Amino acid sequence: MTKGALLIARNNGELDYVKQAVFLAKRIKKYLNIPTSIITDSVDYIKESFDKTVFDEIIKVEYTNDLNTRNFYDGTMFYKTANFKNNYRINAYDLSPYDETLLLDTDYIISNDLFKSCFASSNDLQMFTKAHDVANIRDPREFIHLSEYSIDFYWATVVFFRKTPTNKIFFDLIKHIQENWYHYVSVYQLNSTLFRNDFAFSIAIHIMNGFSSGDFVSPLPGKHLYTIDKDILWKLTDDKFIFLVEKKDYAGEYTAVSTEGQSIHVMNKFSLERVIDNE
Amino acid sequence: MNKSKGILVLAQNNEKTSYVQQACLLALSLKHTNPDCKISIVTDDSISAKYKNLFDNIIEIPWQDDAQDTEWKIQNRWKLYHCSPYEQTIVMDTDMLVLQDISTWWDFLSNYELFFTTNVYTYRGKRVTGDYYRKAFVNNNLPNLYSGVHYFEKSDFALEFYTWLELVMQNWQKFYEIFIEHDRPTWCSVDVCAAIVTVILNCEDKISNKVVKFPSFTHMKPNIQEWYTNKDKWQDCVGTYFNNNAGLKIGNHQQTGILHYTENDFVKPYMLSTYYGKLEHDRK
Repeated sequence: MTKGALLIARNNGELDYVKQAVFLAKRIKKYLNIPTSIITDSVDYIKESFDKTVFDEIIKVEYTNDLNTRNFYDGTMFYKTANFKNNYRINAYDLSPYDETLLLDTDYIISNDLFKSCFASSNDLQMFTKAHDVANIRDPREFIHLSEYSIDFYWATVVFFRKTPTNKIFFDLIKHIQENWYHYVSVYQLNSTLFRNDFAFSIAIHIMNGFSSGDFVSPLPGKHLYTIDKDILWKLTDDKFIFLVEKKDYAGEYTAVSTEGQSIHVMNKFSLERVIDNE
Repeated sequence: MNKSKGILVLAQNNEKTSYVQQACLLALSLKHTNPDCKISIVTDDSISAKYKNLFDNIIEIPWQDDAQDTEWKIQNRWKLYHCSPYEQTIVMDTDMLVLQDISTWWDFLSNYELFFTTNVYTYRGKRVTGDYYRKAFVNNNLPNLYSGVHYFEKSDFALEFYTWLELVMQNWQKFYEIFIEHDRPTWCSVDVCAAIVTVILNCEDKISNKVVKFPSFTHMKPNIQEWYTNKDKWQDCVGTYFNNNAGLKIGNHQQTGILHYTENDFVKPYMLSTYYGKLEHDRK
């Protein structure tokens, strides 16, 4: 069985997902010792600006200027509005060159070897449902259900999947959900029409579970730790992170938090890129 | 020798609500999912001829109606033990639907002389942890019993429990003064009275099981659904989708087990006709 990690990087003029992917691919090699492939519309940019040998395969997709936009924060006080090019994740099953794939967001910074055990597990689909805010001061409810009345939240940030007929159906279902997104926004009482992979995956899981909670997806090993884009990644040395996390009720003020040996979803991509640039 | 077993419901209409109609819908749902299960109704109200044969027994309320002067007619609940035609009885509230085969519950319940549910679930299938409606239990260390679905076998112990329940329900203010110091309800609650009896008889472990997931029910009171703010009605928040096969989704969640819908206007004529049509079809 072939196995490897898969990243998707489509730059939007404000954020350099390719740079993040190169950085993450090196860490995947270091901590998990598996190859990484990339799905991107920026093949030439990779070849010109980076060591392309960090990638096992470079899978080219066409450039599109998507209508999906959102605000990307860099700490509490600053944000930019940019394209949110997140609609290729649904193709991961079809495009992955591996039998066993660890699909990762480029801002999920691997810092330990816990995900090695995904490949040893007999569970064909693994995702996080519970998550832990490093700051631990914010209301976590938006990450428990898709909305107040809606279904359980699953994170599409990290997905382990094997190529099986059932998982093929699962990914096809996610495509169907994306194609009929506004219908699902209405039926699942979502608060925003912005397409989000977390939501599409969660809806598909809910359906695959027979419209109820169930065990169609198994939990990934470890805990899903995250910092939101209103926090700032200040320093990263090997597996040691220093964050400035926003203070409760004091906008623009921060508290320093450090972690060691923990893989972390760093949603402030601007600060992540600054750290990468300073390496 | 097999003991007789069946479901028993008490239904007394008031000016606003036909609890007999609710009992008929419950019986229809039961016959759909548990065709061999017997059900009897205790009522002094009339039952539509169309639905009479859903019930194996139509039993008059014994010894006079203790709830004549009240809107929320629960005062006769303690009589159910005495008038049940079955040796083993599951008592259900009328505002419930049985959405799956519960025949295996009888095997589990045979281990008990009396059993009360202590864990109930949200429409999303999560165990209810909120105490919005249960402050009297939590703040007075009363066992967290739900009488909406409970079981008894005709036995000395169950008779003793129900004899005490009669005493407590008929003198509920006095017992509340003794057992409920904090958040004392101003009405007679069967759940609270049963909890007080459980304390008096020191029998919580004998009549409940905190580990098992069933027998239980989905409890649709709105302020235990893990919503962000308190609501007046759950039907204002999530949709009800009742299909032609009598499958029920609430807010995209397929419902199974027993649904305690709690809001009287949940019952719609098409639900009755759908179930009835399926029963007629099955009979043919």
